Amino acid sequence: MIRFVDTTKVYSNGVVGLKNVTVNIEKGEFVFVIGASGSGKSTFLKLIMHEEAPTEGEVYVNGYSIHNMPRSEIPYLRRSLGVVFQDFRLLPNKTAYENVAFAMQIVEASPREIRRQVPLALALVGLSKKAKAYPNQMSGGEQQRIALARALVNNPSVLIADEPTGNLDPKTSWEIINLLEEINQRGTTVVVATHEKDIVDTLKKRVIVLDRGEIIRDEQKGLYLNEN
Amino acid sequence: MKIRTLRLLAKEGTNNLYKNKLMSLASIMTVVAALFFLGIVLLIAVNITSNIEAMKRDLDITVFLKVDASDFEREEVIAYIEREKEAGVISQYRMETKEQAYENIKSELKNEALLKGLSAENLPESFYIKLTDPAYSDEVIVQLTKFTGVNTEYGIGYNKSGLERLEKILKVFNYIVMVILVILMVIAVFLISNTIRLTVYARRREIEIMKYVGALDSFIRWPFIVEGILIGFVGALASFFATSQAYTWLQNVLNSILSSMGLSTLRIIEFSPVALHIFAIYAIFGVMIGGVGSILSVRKHLNV
Ligand SMILES: Nc1ncnc2c1ncn2[C@@H]1O[C@H](COP(=O)(O)OP(=O)(O)O)[C@@H](O)[C@H]1O
Ligand SMILES: [Mg+2]
Repeated sequence: MIRFVDTTKVYSNGVVGLKNVTVNIEKGEFVFVIGASGSGKSTFLKLIMHEEAPTEGEVYVNGYSIHNMPRSEIPYLRRSLGVVFQDFRLLPNKTAYENVAFAMQIVEASPREIRRQVPLALALVGLSKKAKAYPNQMSGGEQQRIALARALVNNPSVLIADEPTGNLDPKTSWEIINLLEEINQRGTTVVVATHEKDIVDTLKKRVIVLDRGEIIRDEQKGLYLNEN
Repeated sequence: MKIRTLRLLAKEGTNNLYKNKLMSLASIMTVVAALFFLGIVLLIAVNITSNIEAMKRDLDITVFLKVDASDFEREEVIAYIEREKEAGVISQYRMETKEQAYENIKSELKNEALLKGLSAENLPESFYIKLTDPAYSDEVIVQLTKFTGVNTEYGIGYNKSGLERLEKILKVFNYIVMVILVILMVIAVFLISNTIRLTVYARRREIEIMKYVGALDSFIRWPFIVEGILIGFVGALASFFATSQAYTWLQNVLNSILSSMGLSTLRIIEFSPVALHIFAIYAIFGVMIGGVGSILSVRKHLNV
């Protein structure tokens, strides 16, 4: 599903974002990517969605090969992924419903499909009531749930979340994390970058730990800190 | 791309035009100004051309006979002119007798002293010939030169060199028009692309989100192109309206000035016969300026 083969990312200013990373994430997994600030978590996710291209090595995602990917293929790679960010990234001048529908319009879904799928996605994140609300009329947790609905509405096989709870209070964070788990249980591969110890330790999922761009630990049912 | 997608993108473009009212207005004014200037330059060119044509049509060929030309020699020339009139080369002609020449000179030279020693007898007879087409003039002049009764000492014909100079000026003017046109277009494209750059900048988050969700480059590009084309077209409409108003006003003013100066052969032409051409030129250039401007801008600033 996602495979890094000796991947290195050096930014144009010479900073090493990721160094000789080799890792394999299978279909249906739930993975935490953890590490201190600046350890390369975002870089790891950016390579998956081809926001950045690898300097060396190869990344395979959903059958696409990221190194030297032709520009015209990038949109199709992205359509096989759902992404959410710490800062939600909703369009302020569109309602919750329109924000979700927008993701379907972009992939040229039919109006019938849009009318059917958008309410389902809003129901999945528990925000059917807020369909007509604009982002600035919603709480941070609600906005992140709308962002999740948008990420999921096109049924991606992989969901990528970069610190999705970074701007949220603990209670709301848990609501989002529970949603991610639920989505994972429906069969979607979920990759979450975080540095929230509580969450990682409670869920006991696979952890990939980065330090200065290198993987220093990769454990099933891992904790935030090494046990020994 | 599907039809409904095109419709969606057209709608997005139109909405953006409306949302960025101020910026759109600024670019529309740019187009209006550029096309207005272009139109005025074109209309001046059209007027010069049409007046030169009118002047040519109006010009006479003047042929003087020798003072001592015989009746036979005169009849020969008349026969030739009549023949060419039959053939449709000459539209009309007038002959001036020695007496008429004397009367004319007398009325022109008011000074009696100068008329002394001048009599009808030592003045030549002459013909004033109008051609159906100025293109025949060389041929007719060559033919006339062959008659023994025709005085070729001072040459035959009209002020050809003046006309040729005018036509050369017109040619140069046309080149200048071309250059101005190109410069105007470049400026307009630059200004439009600048406006589109601002709307690209204002919408960069939206564009970023579109990319994350997997929008094709064309999907991202088209609303901007639609916006540019609309700016160009609306500008063309406004400019056409402004041009027709300004021109009609100017036409009336200039025509009354010309007729008061007695220059009745010179006419500023009506707007209506060229209106359709002007409109077509405006629409085509407006749409092109807008479209090219936004394509350039989107290429450069959107990285798509
Ligand atoms: N666009 C960029 N240009 C240059 N350096 C970058 C860029 N993005 C990230 N970096 C650097 O790469 C390293 C890893 O960053 P990042 O992947 O964002 O870490 P994290 O998400 O774990 O905080 C950091 O040193 C950061 O400064
Ligand atoms: Mg980060």
